[in-house]
Amino acid sequence: MAVDELPMILFTVISQMCVGAFVVLGLVQTVGGMKYSRRVVDRLADPALFALGPALVAGLIASMFHMNDVTHTFNVIRHWQSSWLSREIIFGVGFAGLGFLFAVLQVLKIGSEALRRVVAVATALFGVGLVVSQVMIYYSLVTVPAWSSWATWVQFFGTALLLGALAVGTAFVLVIARRQNRPASSQVEATNEGSYGQRLKDFFADRQVDDPQTGAQVAELMVGSVRACVVGAVLVAGALLVAMPVYVSGLAGSGEVGLLSVAHYGTGFAVVRFGLLALGALLLGVMAFYFAGFGTKKLRVLGFLMVGSFVLVFIGELMGRSLFYEAMVRVGV
Amino acid sequence: MSERLGFYFDQSLCTGCKACQIACKDKHDTPLGVNWRRVVEYSGGSWQVLDDTFSPRVFAYYTSIACNHCEDPICVRVCPTTAMTVRDDGTVFVDEAKCVGCRYCEWACPYSAPQFNVESGHMSKCDLCYDYRQEGQDPACVAACPSRALDWGPLAELEERYPGAVRSVAPLPDPSITEPNLLVRPHRDAQPVGSGVGSIANPKEI
Repeated sequence: MAVDELPMILFTVISQMCVGAFVVLGLVQTVGGMKYSRRVVDRLADPALFALGPALVAGLIASMFHMNDVTHTFNVIRHWQSSWLSREIIFGVGFAGLGFLFAVLQVLKIGSEALRRVVAVATALFGVGLVVSQVMIYYSLVTVPAWSSWATWVQFFGTALLLGALAVGTAFVLVIARRQNRPASSQVEATNEGSYGQRLKDFFADRQVDDPQTGAQVAELMVGSVRACVVGAVLVAGALLVAMPVYVSGLAGSGEVGLLSVAHYGTGFAVVRFGLLALGALLLGVMAFYFAGFGTKKLRVLGFLMVGSFVLVFIGELMGRSLFYEAMVRVGV
Repeated sequence: MSERLGFYFDQSLCTGCKACQIACKDKHDTPLGVNWRRVVEYSGGSWQVLDDTFSPRVFAYYTSIACNHCEDPICVRVCPTTAMTVRDDGTVFVDEAKCVGCRYCEWACPYSAPQFNVESGHMSKCDLCYDYRQEGQDPACVAACPSRALDWGPLAELEERYPGAVRSVAPLPDPSITEPNLLVRPHRDAQPVGSGVGSIANPKEI
């Protein structure tokens, strides 16, 4: 485990997961919005949006530990004309700021839908910019063959899509399960009225009850979304399981530095990393796809499968990122 | 460009005594593990057949290396804070008032020139003994070499003084990456860059 790089492992994996999840939520909003009313989509998607905030803040805090003189932190954006590291910070802060703004507008229903959509698209663009910058930080280092490779693009965007999809799918199941487990007496009539403070309170308490038709449609959207997320995760995991051996064997055959770079890919740690990916995304994912077919009837099983899948893949991605940093062998002296 | 300063190093004269490394460490008082100038031992060998006999054919030579104050310094390019700064004379130094200690330059430089100083929390590197130069003295490493294997000055002057010196020799990286201001007179057994014939014998020292 690349313990020295723990701040970077946590920051890159968590921020990429947040970008992926935001984009996946956008897809749910867009595609779901074609079939269902805005109210149905929001009832499912809005709570998931709020799980992203704390995760992203935790990731940004982790990244601070990578700096050895935090009193100079604000200097890191000075070289944006040339340094991808500066650009990463600008896109990262932009993504977090716009994401927070969007979450507030969306939950409190401030501003028109068109305005919120513009903010959401801007947030997603900053998010993609963040992941591109993160890739380029490593890809542009021609002195490190293991990083200056197409595989950096595959690994970083793979993490974003894989964890983004699984995080959103898991959040959807948990949102519905929580509502299902409430005692009937605690439920209140669904409204979007009142002061902003009241709306916020209502949102976090999530005690509103939907009329039967809306409730059924929310559950239907959950099933469709979970299935789409799982299919996406299975495809990305499959692609990673094919791409990584190709990358590692290519690197191993590229000379002395390449051979030294791949040393850690031959360890038990690497076996566990890819095992977790296969187990979490492929096995539990496929099982979740099956159990999603029961709708809200087998929600407990589906919840366990999705949480299990997400946790295993998340640990696997952290381990994979550790291997990424351990492959750092530079040319020269 | 002709005024840009750099180093000259003679592989054929170096005995690997590391006086340059110690003189640098002493002058700049760098902490444990931080060595702006280091001496790399590169060795290797093979067999040759002579009159039905196999005889060993081995080589070993030293390369003293510090910052080469490159024309295209990758450390300056990647630094997020603009702390890595190029002086008018082409030398590269760390502006400690800006450095955040992220160590990205350390990942990037193929000569291991920028090194992290745990005491200050900032990067540190060779500045070609800026203060000595202001007083008309030679850099500490150049002055200390008992074999006179090191020299420094404007690159154009060094090229005139040492005809036949090259820019590309193992175990140094391909000079096209950063265009180092470094001239080397190769050892008689010197290997081309990237040949992979030999290996660095003292990786923990550099």
